Amino acid sequence: MSNKTIRKIIIILFSIIMMIVAGREFLIRLNQREPIVKGPGVTTIAKLSDYFEDIKGTIGDTDVYIMDGDEEGGTVLIISGGHPNEISGVLTNVLFIENANIIKGRVLLIPFANNSGFTAGHPGEAYPMRYTINTEWGSRWFRFGDRWTNPLHQWPDPEVYVHYPSGQSLSGFDIRNLNRCFPGRENGTLTEKVAFAITQLIKKEKVDMTIDLHEAEPMYPVINTIVAHQRAMDIAVFAEMNLSAYEGIRIGKELSPENLHGLTHRELGDYTDTFALLAETCNPIQDPCRGRTDENLLLTGKDDFILKAGKLGLLFVPFDENGSPVDERVGRHTSTVLELINSFSELYPDKEIIISNVPRYSEVIEKGVGHYLLEPEGNL
Amino acid sequence: MFTQTSIILGIIVIVFFLALQVFKMSPELSMIISAFVGALVAGFGLPIRHIVEGTFTYLDIILTIIAATLFMNILEDSKAISYIVRSIVTNFYKQRLILLILLMLVLLLPGALTGAGSVSVLISGGIVATVLYSMGIPLVNVTAIVFIGAALSVVTPPVNIYAMIISGGVNMPYIGFFAPLLIPILILAIFTAIFLGWKGKPLELNEILGKLPPVPPKMYGFKAYFPFIVLIGLMVTTRIFPHTFPILGIPLIFIISSIAALIVVWLNGQKINILLISKNTLKQLFPLISTLVAVGIFVQILTLTGVRGLLVVTVLSLPIWLVYVGLAFALPIGEAILLYGVAAVLGVPLIFLFNNSLGLDPILATVGISLICPLGDALPPTRIIGRLTVETLNYEGSYTSFLKKCAIPWIVITVAGICLIIFSNSLKFLLI
Repeated sequence: MSNKTIRKIIIILFSIIMMIVAGREFLIRLNQREPIVKGPGVTTIAKLSDYFEDIKGTIGDTDVYIMDGDEEGGTVLIISGGHPNEISGVLTNVLFIENANIIKGRVLLIPFANNSGFTAGHPGEAYPMRYTINTEWGSRWFRFGDRWTNPLHQWPDPEVYVHYPSGQSLSGFDIRNLNRCFPGRENGTLTEKVAFAITQLIKKEKVDMTIDLHEAEPMYPVINTIVAHQRAMDIAVFAEMNLSAYEGIRIGKELSPENLHGLTHRELGDYTDTFALLAETCNPIQDPCRGRTDENLLLTGKDDFILKAGKLGLLFVPFDENGSPVDERVGRHTSTVLELINSFSELYPDKEIIISNVPRYSEVIEKGVGHYLLEPEGNL
Repeated sequence: MFTQTSIILGIIVIVFFLALQVFKMSPELSMIISAFVGALVAGFGLPIRHIVEGTFTYLDIILTIIAATLFMNILEDSKAISYIVRSIVTNFYKQRLILLILLMLVLLLPGALTGAGSVSVLISGGIVATVLYSMGIPLVNVTAIVFIGAALSVVTPPVNIYAMIISGGVNMPYIGFFAPLLIPILILAIFTAIFLGWKGKPLELNEILGKLPPVPPKMYGFKAYFPFIVLIGLMVTTRIFPHTFPILGIPLIFIISSIAALIVVWLNGQKINILLISKNTLKQLFPLISTLVAVGIFVQILTLTGVRGLLVVTVLSLPIWLVYVGLAFALPIGEAILLYGVAAVLGVPLIFLFNNSLGLDPILATVGISLICPLGDALPPTRIIGRLTVETLNYEGSYTSFLKKCAIPWIVITVAGICLIIFSNSLKFLLI
């Protein structure tokens, strides 16, 4: 046997071993789900397919947690995981699911809106597959996914994605971006169907206000802010004032651009009666000038290169040596959601929603997200 | 973090050059090995999942290139390209300027559809060179024309891999590139053809037709163009009816167009071995595919270890005059070493600098960068397209004489690329 043949055999064997090892990890990511504890306030766990049967049995189907209050009031929907690499929204929803007590009104929560995106990584970005939050009793793990629907579930992309119904042209891969597919299309792609199902849920459940939780990189201008549909702007204004006055949270407010289509804050406001809002925090692991890409960066948000970019005046958020830790990001989201609900309740008292037992910004920072995560039963 | 990451970068660079120069490995293997070592010294051990994930970074581009090259190879075997060149020569052999322009377009076409300059050289380089040589153009000039044409074909729309990689890296849609790429490329390609090919002798029609490959008697008119009509028709239809026409994807569109080309072959009564063409296509593309796979792994590890961030933040900190001057050297040299990897390693941070810091138009800046990069395909250590051109055209002069002949078009293209970046905000009219 020649040296060349031996070298080829070694390379092939090495490649096969790598494929098996990596394939096992990809398979785990494809199938494993993090445990979510049904908190005392959860009345029902429905499925998104209950609102649009076409996605039943597909990866697009996802859990909808319904929390009914003791008294009748308004209905709020909190969406997270539309972009599965933006973790503070997911953790905020989990805190609500596992802790909230609804006194008046209804709260619906979709923690993993783009369920397919949680099963994929983004080649080239070197993201971790999962992250762990420490608690007093142990730790809880969560999946870290991709911004887009897994190509295994929706492929190929067109050269240009033409949004329905506006006809706006977007990059081809954005046809797998849930937050570019609203209000959705009944006979569209998987992602468009998921968007359609969420729109149907809002209509059928008569959701008064929808809050979509996101994160952005420090070099992106729409960050640490609330984006509001024009009908929901007064809610955002009141919430911003209260967050600043009572909790010292600096947060911006922006009007949803009328010509930027496919996003929740534009399309859900246009195509349903809901007040559509979106909140952003700062997630350094999404930034292109980030340093070492690992779970530590994801959770601490500390990064010297981003700090340097800040000194060069390239960031849209204040950023110092303390970084942007996950506790702070989740705290911002819990307070923002609670304050949006309070503002809505003040403006529309006949549809008042009252929630208790959800930690606010200072409490989450003081005790950490882990303090509010319940211990799941069984094997983790 | 700066010191630690700089050390990791230094080790990656040293290992890369050791593998390339001392152990005489290919740039692709050198990239993969330096990525392995980089991950190891950064404390990630052997991050198998990241390595495998990185190989998928450019999967869509690879599939497009394979399908498009298969399409072009079937066209070549069916003699459709020969027919098109013979038609051009027959109709315009007395009009040197038009002939030069049309031959340059034939040279640009395969690379434009596949994103690979080697495909341009292999499919139309030889036949175009035959005509150019018969026009009395010295072989060194012909070789330079074919190389510059092939280099420009790499960035000619619709498939510009540099722009695709940069767009993906900065989260920018690969939309709106067609006109801003096509207009300067056509001007530069025509300039090159005229500059290097204007002097010569009139073409003798019978002599040149005797030299060109014969075409089957039934290959004429509409049939020769039918596969292109199917290709453009499908691309346009998917755009016009996005919500009713199924999403085919570019690779499948090329496969369907290949079937259309096979139908033409069948109608002409020709016999071609599709299995052999497919095998040869993959053989032909193996270096390019392996480059894209290696670059994917390399970028994933650079990102994992923080080296990508270091490069981005370093570029963002440089004095701007240095960046502009450096483009002329760094991009071709980067291309010669990293091949398409230059788009990810240098192109992405440059676009952040030009767009985020300086407020320049990101599309035109990307066009400018991508224009300069493929010139490096004539430079050592890889000189892939340069070497291929010289070998395909049997140019027996020194490699330096060939490079010297490329010098003026090279400088003009570089200056044009830099101007497209610097004056991008004034050139927005190109964004049709």
